[in-house]
Amino acid sequence: MTNQTKSQFIAVASITSELSAVMVVAKEISLAAANAKAIAFRAGDKAKGFQPITDFINELAKETIELVTNINIYALVLYRLTVEEYHKTIAFNKFELAAKMAEGALYAESMQEPVDQARLAMQDCQRRFKKDVSQLLGQLEEVMHHARAARVIAANSRIEASQAGEYLQSLQAVAESVDKAAHTIHDNVQRCRIALSIYRNS
Amino acid sequence: MKMTKIYEGSHQWIMFGRDEGKPGNIVDTNQYVVRTPNRCLLLDPGGAELFAPMMAAVLHHAPVDQITDLFASHQDPDVISSLGLWDQALTNAKLHAPALWEGFLRHYSCDSIEYVGIPDNGGTIKLESLELQLIPAHYLHSPGNFHVYDPQAKILMSGDVGGSIEPPDSPVFVDNFSAHVEKMRYWHQRWMPSNQAKRVWIERVRNLDIDILAPQHGRMFKGDDVKRFLDWFDALQVGIAV
Repeated sequence: MTNQTKSQFIAVASITSELSAVMVVAKEISLAAANAKAIAFRAGDKAKGFQPITDFINELAKETIELVTNINIYALVLYRLTVEEYHKTIAFNKFELAAKMAEGALYAESMQEPVDQARLAMQDCQRRFKKDVSQLLGQLEEVMHHARAARVIAANSRIEASQAGEYLQSLQAVAESVDKAAHTIHDNVQRCRIALSIYRNS
Repeated sequence: MKMTKIYEGSHQWIMFGRDEGKPGNIVDTNQYVVRTPNRCLLLDPGGAELFAPMMAAVLHHAPVDQITDLFASHQDPDVISSLGLWDQALTNAKLHAPALWEGFLRHYSCDSIEYVGIPDNGGTIKLESLELQLIPAHYLHSPGNFHVYDPQAKILMSGDVGGSIEPPDSPVFVDNFSAHVEKMRYWHQRWMPSNQAKRVWIERVRNLDIDILAPQHGRMFKGDDVKRFLDWFDALQVGIAV
């Protein structure tokens, strides 16, 4: 296995690992939103500005979970494609070697077609991999967008929390947890993007 | 890869083996080709490591599009782990292999090649006018195992039965049976699990008219050495590891 193939396998496997962490965090945000909603309900008028924010937080968490679920399916497709490309590359290399070893054999020329077919199949896999990586990077960008939106919401939550009197601490804790979660999502997704981006134009 | 023609008539048998380029840590194997005017059958075509030299060797005898049939006596990697590569190289081929092993052998990839499962009681392979018989050899050593008998050429390709591990420069035929026995003893005692299966196989094979017994490892037996081998094997206790 070449170093390029090894890093390709590692890159694809690391996406699944990073995204499972993102999924945990997105579920935590969803929980934080439910918690915030209960606090805001108890706080009544004092947390009036906070109530619509909880809906935003919940919506954002749901969308992130949905996106990550789709990306995970896509990552699996990318993994299978990596395996296919690996097999096609081995076949091409072995066919080329067979053709070389057969030089001078009566039917050596008949090996040319399998060599050409194997080359085309390998190149097709490489093209599909690049295309799929580009699409996956687009989907990851969308998750980043959600993470950025979550941070804005967290900032607004802090402002609204400051108006909530005795509920200030509870609501600030919600804002903190959303902000922390958004950071984690941002960092994990960023790592996925870095791991994959070298294959987009390779 | 050494090529030895072992039968020439209306069709040919060629033995391939003693590959000098093979990695030292994998077991040496014999591959056989049956060539009819327009078709070619590879018997136990070998492991993935052997694909390129084997394909190159076959191209001395047949073009790629005339390699129409593969046979795997059983499921072992030294027998058929090259299947995934043949599957990509051949566009119109069949694999004749034990039906018992189909779900397992497909792990090597078998998408374009048609898997023709051999039922437990055996069958035949038709290559143009030639009909080869598939002789059951279950538990010798694999639970689903077949050998190939050619009644015209009087050759029995006997898979692991008759096998021995030899240095790469060894002759392809046994030339001194008594001296050869010690090279086969442990192989058969350890790899063959069942005395009953052995007895049934010997009874079956004694009814065949055999000039050459062609195992997948080591040297082939011809003439009187075939009978000598059957007698020796008959008397041997196998399955010694328990």
